[in-house]
Amino acid sequence: MNRTTFDPHTPFAATLLDRRSLSEDTALFSVLAEPAAVEPLARFLPGQFLQLSVPGAGEIPISPADLPSADGTLQLCVRRVGHVTEHLHRAEIGCKLGVRGPFGVGFPVEEMTGRPVLLLAGGLGIAPLRSLICYLLRQPERFGEITLMYGAKQPQLMLFREELSVLAAQGRLRLYLTVDFAPQQPTGDFSCAVGLLPELLQGFVFDAQRSYVAVCGPPPLYRCLMDELLGAGVAAERILLSLERRMRCGIGRCCHCALGQKLCCIDGPVFRLSELQRIPEAL
Amino acid sequence: MNKPRLAIAGLTACSGCQLTLLNCEEELPEIFARFHLDYFPMAESFHDPQATFDAAIVEGALSTPADLATLFRLRNASRLLIAFGTCALFGGVAAMNNKSSARLTLLNGVYGEASAGVESFPPSPFRNFVSVDFAITGCPPEKSDLLALLGALLAGTLPPTPCYPVCTECRSRENLCLLLEKNELCLGPVIQGGCNARCPASGIVCEGCRGPVREANVAQQLALLLERGFDAKEIERRMSRFTPEWDYGQRR
Amino acid sequence: MEHAYFKQTQLGPLLETLRLFGELHGPVLSEAGVASFAALDDLGALRLDYGKTRIPPKKYLFPFREELLQYRDGIYRQSPLDPPNIVLFGVHPCDLAAIAYLDRVFLAERPEPAYALRRERLTLVGVSCEPDDFCFCSQPQEGGACDLFLAPRKDGFQLAFAGAKGAALAEAARGLLSEARPEGEMSAPFRAIPAQDPQLRFSDHPLWQKFALTCVSCGACSVCCPTCYCFDLREYPSLDGGGTRLREWDNCLFATHGEVAGANFRASRLDRLRYRFLHKYCGFSPLEGMSSCVGCGRCKEVCPVDIDLRELCGGPDAAAAVPPAPLRPAS
Repeated sequence: MNRTTFDPHTPFAATLLDRRSLSEDTALFSVLAEPAAVEPLARFLPGQFLQLSVPGAGEIPISPADLPSADGTLQLCVRRVGHVTEHLHRAEIGCKLGVRGPFGVGFPVEEMTGRPVLLLAGGLGIAPLRSLICYLLRQPERFGEITLMYGAKQPQLMLFREELSVLAAQGRLRLYLTVDFAPQQPTGDFSCAVGLLPELLQGFVFDAQRSYVAVCGPPPLYRCLMDELLGAGVAAERILLSLERRMRCGIGRCCHCALGQKLCCIDGPVFRLSELQRIPEAL
Repeated sequence: MNKPRLAIAGLTACSGCQLTLLNCEEELPEIFARFHLDYFPMAESFHDPQATFDAAIVEGALSTPADLATLFRLRNASRLLIAFGTCALFGGVAAMNNKSSARLTLLNGVYGEASAGVESFPPSPFRNFVSVDFAITGCPPEKSDLLALLGALLAGTLPPTPCYPVCTECRSRENLCLLLEKNELCLGPVIQGGCNARCPASGIVCEGCRGPVREANVAQQLALLLERGFDAKEIERRMSRFTPEWDYGQRR
Repeated sequence: MEHAYFKQTQLGPLLETLRLFGELHGPVLSEAGVASFAALDDLGALRLDYGKTRIPPKKYLFPFREELLQYRDGIYRQSPLDPPNIVLFGVHPCDLAAIAYLDRVFLAERPEPAYALRRERLTLVGVSCEPDDFCFCSQPQEGGACDLFLAPRKDGFQLAFAGAKGAALAEAARGLLSEARPEGEMSAPFRAIPAQDPQLRFSDHPLWQKFALTCVSCGACSVCCPTCYCFDLREYPSLDGGGTRLREWDNCLFATHGEVAGANFRASRLDRLRYRFLHKYCGFSPLEGMSSCVGCGRCKEVCPVDIDLRELCGGPDAAAAVPPAPLRPAS
């Protein structure tokens, strides 16, 4: 007898449809999952993650950059940093991939209803937050004002710059961009501040008592931003952080992604700051 | 599927690593069908000096100007350079030395009068001279590691490299612990696993042929062996058999 | 829970009866003298007086290395699996408790098909034990999650059985059994080390620094631990264009355990020891608050540098106040 029951380890088949370069080392991949995956993928909430398999190379956790489409197309923003991502960047259009998920806990969108939302993205952290932006913008009347503050190292590493600018111009979100370094003050079709995200946040006036704040970026960013946010009066319960760990199985078994007694893959990857304050290993 | 072009070569070594390839009897037809073996001096004397390769799989340590020339040429001609075996990675048996005999004395001892024409230097691993893209350890390497590399090359990638000491696999096989239960000088805790603890499973201590595991707690291993009554000189002699350079203070 | 008695002389016939339910395995001594669970082709090889096996019975449910998936033309499929029915005879209460714990891990939400299939085909016959120099559970006389449980009595064994499997085994062996009044219950053994305060991982106990210096990261403690189950997944393309994904036991004391591309969340050995303490004695989500130490003492016995994490939580005396834990998952 073979194993016939549903196996949480077996990926659904998927096909690489398209690759659009976003920066030197980052690209947006369109991936079409097989029909059987459409139903589980339809349950995706922004902030949750998928396990993407590249046959021959292995599997990586990825937080999609958009909500899965009705036919099961996924938008995955991937930086070339390791074995699997390197292989994915070199994969031919049309090749087979594998997808498992969605896994974990996403942003508490029900609870955020009616509230202003401030999104703070650093670097590639824009990817998971982009799926939240997509979710919020689909029902703008359901949420309060949406503000995105996005920091990148250099102007050419700022992802989705044009589409974000269009959304800002349409008045659908308030957009603040900043870069850590620029040879000169960026001007013309692309102007933005030079400095770090926490500095940008310092001068920002917002409804701290009601807002939800979603943060995603490299680990040092969290440490800098938390004091700013708490100081501004945002309750720790309303500060939502999307964390990165080494999720291998995605289902709370392999134990690589533990932070304290929590497992990033089933208790996260989106955590409230109030939960993480009790876990010294988290930030 | 396109056929990757391979170079298989040996420097100062016993050719045992290259034999590992020839020992893959069952898989050889598949290997020949799926790769161009464009440079393989051990099996074929003709080769094109202008050839370029997808991967050069090279065994041995560097101890002569000719070794260096071959390595530099293969590094330049090949997209990937794979250090194949313990000599290529750590110097191996070729680099074993008693730290007292001068190189010239050794040469005279081996070659006698002919030693005047021999140019050589202390055997060194690849990483002292060139960048290496991937390494397969072992003296000789495991067939399965070589096949995993070849499979990965066909898929356009490199295989995963598990990183645990010999003890892990040894314990999983429920062997008698030669270090703790027989008080023998076993190097299991600091040596890279992947051999399925072949020696301890047949009652022979780990001699360290696969070289140091990444996070070896060398200082503690040393303390442990001294505590168990082994002589410092004997410990060093055993540890340096396949890897001449250990950082005996490393605790990582 | 039902009870019966059989005479020492009926042990052989009972074992032969058990063979009807699958391959009979039990504790034997290897050629080198290591106790391990292995096939009992010859009943004479059975060592019922064994201390503990080197590797716990988890190897029957969750082997050291197994092929999980295969792929061909880029499509992944489960690797075929058809494990034999096995009757594992002579399992001590600590190891039974460990299996009950692993059941909670692997058979809860999103059960693992491979584990479930092996578990379904594994019949467990427990036996009470005498403590040795290393183990430290407080109640060695009672059984845990098993189908049959034997406890030595005058000139024979008291046998307890539970569940459908246990009843079927007892029915098949009916001719060998006589009635008995129950002495003691067949229930879960007490936990050897109760759940600890997670904050203890940051205690200023000097042993933390000592252990961090001396641990050689050999992996023995977790390989031999009956409840350690961390695993790694690795993918190997084959020459024919297909490939496999393997699962292998991993160890939280290896540097790679907390590593991601470009960072390591548990870079120092001290971080990794804290992780181990936390997982073993405090429990991870969703079993937070549950100690998984069953007191077998293997970790202490196999450690080349005598690390005993229990010393960080008050030592074996901490076992005194252990509440009995319900072990068998609701099925």
